[in-house]
Amino acid sequence: MNTSYQKALKAERLKLKRSPVWLAFFALPVISAFFGTMNYRMNLAVLQSEWYSLWSQHSLFLCYFFMPALLGTYCSYLWRLEHTHHNWNSFLTAPIPLLSLYLGKLTQAIWMAVLGNLWIFLLFYVCGKFVDIQSPFPSAAAEWFLCGVIGAVVICSVQLLLSLIIRSFAVPIGIALLGGILGLMITNKDHGLDYPYSIYCLGMRANNPDMTVDVLTLVINSLGYIIIFAALSVLYLHRKEISAG
Amino acid sequence: MITLKTEFQKIKRRKIGLTIFALLGMQFAWILWTAKSANEKDPTQGWLNLLHTLPLLNVIMMPTIMAVLASRLSDLEHKGNTYKLLRTLRRPGILFNAKVLCGLLYTGIISVIQVSFLLALGYSQHYAGAPDMYYYMLTFILEFACCFSLYLLQLNLSLLFFNQMIPLVVGLCGSLLGLVLMYIKMYSFLPWGGFLSCALVGMDWNVETRVVTYFYREHSTVELCAVGMVFIWIVIFYVTGRIAFTRKEV
Repeated sequence: MNTSYQKALKAERLKLKRSPVWLAFFALPVISAFFGTMNYRMNLAVLQSEWYSLWSQHSLFLCYFFMPALLGTYCSYLWRLEHTHHNWNSFLTAPIPLLSLYLGKLTQAIWMAVLGNLWIFLLFYVCGKFVDIQSPFPSAAAEWFLCGVIGAVVICSVQLLLSLIIRSFAVPIGIALLGGILGLMITNKDHGLDYPYSIYCLGMRANNPDMTVDVLTLVINSLGYIIIFAALSVLYLHRKEISAG
Repeated sequence: MITLKTEFQKIKRRKIGLTIFALLGMQFAWILWTAKSANEKDPTQGWLNLLHTLPLLNVIMMPTIMAVLASRLSDLEHKGNTYKLLRTLRRPGILFNAKVLCGLLYTGIISVIQVSFLLALGYSQHYAGAPDMYYYMLTFILEFACCFSLYLLQLNLSLLFFNQMIPLVVGLCGSLLGLVLMYIKMYSFLPWGGFLSCALVGMDWNVETRVVTYFYREHSTVELCAVGMVFIWIVIFYVTGRIAFTRKEV
């Protein structure tokens, strides 16, 4: 199992070699950080909670609208390689368990989610120093980061299932955008932790760094969603006869 | 005409309309959400509020929706590797025009549905007075033009790159940029900010009384130039796209 997983992971890395997919995860947070910092500087009279205020400006739109769609784009790309040409034949006949093949893709998505989040926090720190915030960097940011990564993995597992079922590249991304916007409404109704696309925003404390989130519920719900969607994906791969082409 | 018919045959049963209307449905749910609260405050402002909300939602959602639409129309050619075959049957310029016309039809339908929804919503919510049809018609034309300019941009990218991730990410960046531009100025010369320039209703928020008042905007010369820029973008994207597609190595 371990060896087959490693083989699958290696194959996934090879498929993504020299692919400019990371550019998206680089560009979008930069835009958000740049304008978030600008907005913070222009509204210093209102935004007085230093790091916390800056974080609200950085994370609000990025977490609600764009990270779900961005993660959706990456997941779509991971399956697109199989949906094109006759790659399904090679994929399904590889002498590796389907679970390992799926985990290879999920690991790649998790890796990108971690890197993406690290980049967001690095930008947050650099911008904070740039605008000369004197107070120390909030230690709570480590928790936001970890909860954010867990939330991002939930989105990845949902999007991997959608991109596996839907052969189109763009449709799952549209669904991710839709999911993110719906998440905003569901979070407003206080049901955010029950909805896969909202967990990420709540974990990252987007727009409200002072918000107390029940971390245990967040982790349990996230693990539940990840297991459910991963199981559905592997089941789909087992049961569904996928035509090549 | 035959090429255009073929274009529609190619997308038969691909549920492109369903995808687009699901995204529009979310937009309508959002409008419904904001419209209800606006009506509770002051029903006389309802018609204006709707005209104010539509461009703001479009600036966030349309770049991505247009990216999805353009990618759906182009990706089938990439996946099927059909360019070689198609070019032996039709001149590339005609093929490009067919894709443009197909998208034009979709964007036209989207804009008609959006404006019709606003009118239906206004009447169902019993907003005071009647809608100013001149402004509603103008909104339709301008929103349509903005959508079409973004569609052309995305179509060019989707046809140019085999990797559809690039156009989709450009669409997402466009959405984010549009959202950010909204906080800077109510006009922009960038393709993604066209919706802001074309917004016919402005908003005044009184900080002390916390009362929102909507009013018909009087565009300054610069703002009018920004509106004109939307149409210039359409020409630029069409000409460059056609040249790039015609010269593309298949």
